[in-house]
Amino acid sequence: MSTPNDDSPKPTPRWRAFLAKSREFAPVWTLLALILFFSVYSDSFLSLENAANILNQVALLAIMGTGITFVLLTAQIDLSVSYMATFAGVVAAYYTAGHLPQPWPIVAALLAAGALGWINGVGTARLGIPSFMVTLAMSLIASGLSLYLTRGRILFELPALSETLGSGRIFGVKWLVIVAALTLLVGHLVLKYTRFGRYVYMTGASPKAAELAGVNTKGVITAVMVIGALTAGLAGVVGIGRLGSATPTAFDGMLIDAIGAVVLGGTSLFGGVGGIPQTIVGLLILGVLRNGLDQVSVDIYMKTLITGIILLAALVFNILFAGRKEA
Amino acid sequence: MDTTSPLLELRNVAKQFGGIQALVGIDFDVRPGEVHALVGENGAGKSTMMKILAGVIPEYEGTMVWKGRPVRLRNPRHALDLGIAMIHQELSVMPELTVAENIFLGRQPLRAGTVDWARMFREAEAVLAELGFDHVNVREPLERYPLGVHQLSEIARALTSGAELIIMDEPTSALSPMETRHLLELTRELAATGKSVVYISHFLEEVTWVADRVTVLRDGRKIATLEARKTDKQELVRLMLGKEAAFFEESYMSGRDVEDPHAGARPVLTLERLTRPRAFSDVSFTLHAGEILGLYGLIGSGHFELGEAIYGLHRPTAGRILLEGQPVPAGPRRAIDRGVAYVPPSRRSGLFLEKPIYQNVTLPWLAQISGLVPQVPKEVRVTDEVIRRVGVRPPDPQKEVLYLSGGNQQKVAIARWLVRPPKVFVVSEPTRGMDVGAKEEVMKILHELSEAGVAVLLISSEPETVLAASERILVMAKGRIVREFVGETVTKEQLLHAASGELAEAR
Ligand SMILES: Nc1ncnc2c1ncn2[C@@H]1O[C@H](COP(=O)(O)OP(=O)(O)OP(=O)(O)O)[C@@H](O)[C@H]1O
Ligand SMILES: [Mg+2]
Repeated sequence: MSTPNDDSPKPTPRWRAFLAKSREFAPVWTLLALILFFSVYSDSFLSLENAANILNQVALLAIMGTGITFVLLTAQIDLSVSYMATFAGVVAAYYTAGHLPQPWPIVAALLAAGALGWINGVGTARLGIPSFMVTLAMSLIASGLSLYLTRGRILFELPALSETLGSGRIFGVKWLVIVAALTLLVGHLVLKYTRFGRYVYMTGASPKAAELAGVNTKGVITAVMVIGALTAGLAGVVGIGRLGSATPTAFDGMLIDAIGAVVLGGTSLFGGVGGIPQTIVGLLILGVLRNGLDQVSVDIYMKTLITGIILLAALVFNILFAGRKEA
Repeated sequence: MDTTSPLLELRNVAKQFGGIQALVGIDFDVRPGEVHALVGENGAGKSTMMKILAGVIPEYEGTMVWKGRPVRLRNPRHALDLGIAMIHQELSVMPELTVAENIFLGRQPLRAGTVDWARMFREAEAVLAELGFDHVNVREPLERYPLGVHQLSEIARALTSGAELIIMDEPTSALSPMETRHLLELTRELAATGKSVVYISHFLEEVTWVADRVTVLRDGRKIATLEARKTDKQELVRLMLGKEAAFFEESYMSGRDVEDPHAGARPVLTLERLTRPRAFSDVSFTLHAGEILGLYGLIGSGHFELGEAIYGLHRPTAGRILLEGQPVPAGPRRAIDRGVAYVPPSRRSGLFLEKPIYQNVTLPWLAQISGLVPQVPKEVRVTDEVIRRVGVRPPDPQKEVLYLSGGNQQKVAIARWLVRPPKVFVVSEPTRGMDVGAKEEVMKILHELSEAGVAVLLISSEPETVLAASERILVMAKGRIVREFVGETVTKEQLLHAASGELAEAR
């Protein structure tokens, strides 16, 4: 025998069962550990003001992340969200500069983003192209449209609504944070309490079984790609208000953070498992990490590396968690 | 009988899943060169016990002894290293890989560090030929072949692993009678060469034919271990169920009177010269309200594809499907709304294993049960009622389907359609993997439905299944209907003959 094994049999350890259960809460433990760590190692981290800061920093990601949660739940992916956000911001500013009366520039921006999402959806669901490829192509198209409309310049004339929502406050609270919270809330209600939400989960859990049960899985996938694009468009429209301008590459760099936050929270890349509460935890992990690293004396050039390592760890966990099925 | 010391022993083994006691105080042993069968109702604990033997479940109480030494298996790899291989009830094949790769998964023959494809194909062909499956091209992806071939490649994988103990968990559930025959003979040959086999099956005929000893489990306890020669089906059934199963004796294996009481009944579903290349051609028949029509064929004869077509899963290239005189538009949703229900031949494709039973059951009916906003308590109530009717155990709507035994998963797939009785119920292999008691329950449900006016199309490759319930039987071969039995006594042999004999003629 290559592996003789005569250690005497022992009873099942109880802590194993506990561990299996706690896996589900791993993101929450991670978040608490990070908060604890930064509270100990920095005097400025644990304050109400800094907490408000963190929320403000993740607000745009939260808006985008809501749509990405829908997309991942159906086991698809959208690599074009950040580029569609940029594009929507550019459209809103472009038509404002072109003296289209408000709120039409914003409506046009959301419609334009929604149309791109619909193309993503049709490519994925009807034509059967893997979503990462369709959306990769779409990221170039959205990017190209932004460049074409702006001719590479920065647009400073913004819709008044964008400015209010992007940088205004009400009762001392940033509008941006309120918009983000509302987006998450609506996303959560749709996923948990509507028939469509159930279809999203079931399509992700098994597209074949969902089809056999009469679910229009192609329609569901198209719809989530449109939702992903609409939330990206919304992020773009309020995002330009926060930046004070629309540039042809404004939000492009947010892609990794937006998808990363959703995955960090524990929504499965294989579909069917996860949701908005998970995404909120993921957003907070990312926000606390980014903010905390600014407060402790870490080599500034190490920050990206550290964030990357944590994201990788989360991915490994995500996949281990999906492997639980074989019980 | 061999009196040498056992190859493998379980001593006082128990296993709990949450609150459920799946196994209690099991003593079990397998001798070298023995075929030891394991029988019991759905959920009796057969698969659980075998998963312990194969290292799939590493945590349990009690002791396992392998060749006289206590062992505690850490994982399936460890079991394989010791010489224990398992053919799982739920197939674990990779459909995109070739048949040969599936057979040699994880241990492809190598030459100079790369896969020796020529040798792999040759050896794969050799074992399939041994199994009587020489028409399979081992270079093709497995997904091109029907379920029976998937099961065979899993069997071939275990056979070529060189294991001394091979565990077969319902190996024949997707095999045709001829393939089953080959497998049984091969199992005896294995035993003759000194290998040991644990054989799980709900087909008691197979069990009494192939086994040296039979162990009966009931509710996680060992009821008895018997010499196979000294027992018979009746005794086994009585031990399994704890009571006589009258139905079983009378309709299984014996002849059955096939009559046509619905000659004047209302036609519900009419197929007119339905054709789909490489699946079926020129199929016409009429299904009446209140009738159970059996559609029998060997695997690959096109009968399962016909069921899919009726449910709108794909479009036939010629011919028409009329439901109450009206054509049915494509797509399952429209079929469901028009009163067509469908159970696919492989339950895994129709169920959401990680989701609770109630979500599996109510998915087609969400709009009807609770409109735009699903109401879980109502869904649970509806589910509770239907799963009790088909006898799912445990009848807990909140439990994930994954944690049910194989046969109980199948019952969930059927229960879904009892929420709203359909007009036409197309069921493919509804009793695959079910114990005798559960089969009886399913047949009873089909009868109740037909008495309530539902038209049932019962599609199967198991002669027993169509014989047990059908009033009229159509036989398909090579995509065509070759024979209809109405108003005569039909036996299993006649069905087989019609399905394979005419096949030879068609060539
Ligand atoms: N992973 C699990 N978690 C919880 N319960 C389980 C799990 N696996 C099995 N069970 C339960 O243990 C019992 C025994 O199941 P098992 O799969 O061993 O039955 P079986 O005899 O193989 O039945 P079948 O003939 O239907 O395949 C059942 O009640 C089942 O619901
Ligand atoms: Mg089993």
